[in-house]
Amino acid sequence: MSDAFRKKGARTNIFRRLPMMKRVTGLSLIFLLVFPLYAYAGIPLDTVKGHINQVLDVLRDPALKGEPKKKLKKDKIRTISEKMFDFDELSRRTLGPNWTKFNPGQQKEFTDLYKSILEDAYVDKIVTYTDEKVSYNKEIPLTEKTTEVQTIIVTKKADIPINYRVILKEGAWRVYDVVIEGVSLISNYRSQFKEILMNKPPDGLLDTLRKKVGKA
Amino acid sequence: MKQTRIYIPIFILCVFFLVPHVYADSSSPVTKTLETEKKDPAEIPAQPKQEIVTLAEPQKKEVENDFTEEDEKVLTIADPIYPWNKAMYHFNDKFYFWILKPVARGYSTVMPEDIRIVTRNFFSNLATPVRFVGSLLQLRIKDAGNELVRFVYNSTAGVLGLADAAKSDFNIVRRDEDIGQALGKYGIGHGFYIVWPFIGPSSLRDTIGLAGDYFLDPVSYVNPMEASFGIRAYDEVNETSLRIGDYEELKKAAIDPYISIRDAYIQNRQKKVDE
Repeated sequence: MSDAFRKKGARTNIFRRLPMMKRVTGLSLIFLLVFPLYAYAGIPLDTVKGHINQVLDVLRDPALKGEPKKKLKKDKIRTISEKMFDFDELSRRTLGPNWTKFNPGQQKEFTDLYKSILEDAYVDKIVTYTDEKVSYNKEIPLTEKTTEVQTIIVTKKADIPINYRVILKEGAWRVYDVVIEGVSLISNYRSQFKEILMNKPPDGLLDTLRKKVGKA
Repeated sequence: MKQTRIYIPIFILCVFFLVPHVYADSSSPVTKTLETEKKDPAEIPAQPKQEIVTLAEPQKKEVENDFTEEDEKVLTIADPIYPWNKAMYHFNDKFYFWILKPVARGYSTVMPEDIRIVTRNFFSNLATPVRFVGSLLQLRIKDAGNELVRFVYNSTAGVLGLADAAKSDFNIVRRDEDIGQALGKYGIGHGFYIVWPFIGPSSLRDTIGLAGDYFLDPVSYVNPMEASFGIRAYDEVNETSLRIGDYEELKKAAIDPYISIRDAYIQNRQKKVDE
């Protein structure tokens, strides 16, 4: 009892002997030590929300209205999607066990082609949005490193539930799957790629994708 | 006195940071595990630890980077009548692009969107028995009750179901339930994949469900038969007019549209059965 008390006193003395600036630093240290404990709560949702808001800002930007500005608009959205999505993780999970059949060069090419297919398909759709509202429902932890952020796009015609699955890597939450009305994007592509890879080698699939990208 | 003063800001800081931490706990697994790591193992009560396990368990398969396990999660469906299905897929595709879409386009130019939405509400309200019985068969008494409330309220306050007043006034939303889902709930599998002309993707189980739905839909009892079909066709055109572009996009995004649609169908149905 008295021992603990003495320790406590000693620590205070050291603390009090320090100049003011150092005391502030000490407080900041405590701040930093406590902060990471809860830093992740709500972060996945906020990250997704932040990116979606950036996209919405681009869509609503009056300076980007009209047909001639469409390309600029799409480029801006692509830049945001680079930050929002983890295309490596997305590609890896899409191919599943087939990923290991690709050599590193093929994996890289696959990721790039797959990314442009997704962007071509969805950016066109996104730029048609105007008055849609997004409501952020909740985040549901999947594992220690993955979380599902549930949103609903409210349009005049219908409410579309869209869930973003995010993974924590290097301190950032990035999207690796999008689930629309229960349909997982990566599962959907996985079923298609699987069928192709049953009959063709990895390069055959890459060739199919090259054609698709060239066409789009 | 002076010595205690230094503890006050520290104490406040700690409370400030720990309180949200405690509240946020339930929503973030990371928080939880980080906290658990810091604590002495003996101090952790058994209860929260168990919670972590249950939270992570349902999705465990999916997130482990073990590809074989992840792959198992893929929903598959038998497709023994593939030649028929593929032919019907092409038939429906052509039917959409050559007939349904142009008609829906023309219809949407003369009919304002608001009217088309109201029309959809009307047909949706009419089909209440399908959702009501579908819910009842799944023993979802509350959902069945909600459907009943929605029907009564929307038919009166919503003027013959033209407005979805139950949603806007009480936030009682429509839940898509049908007989096929009820069968799924009882553990009956899809059987195999079937593509029907005009109707589109289905399965053996859902086809049986569709037959049940047919008898629950008041439109089926309209006499003569031609009028009944006419109403159905109008409903279809109206619905399509509100969805022009969706199918095109799906096709555009897909590498193999047939497989993409088949997979989307079973994933979507699975979600509805699970809910």
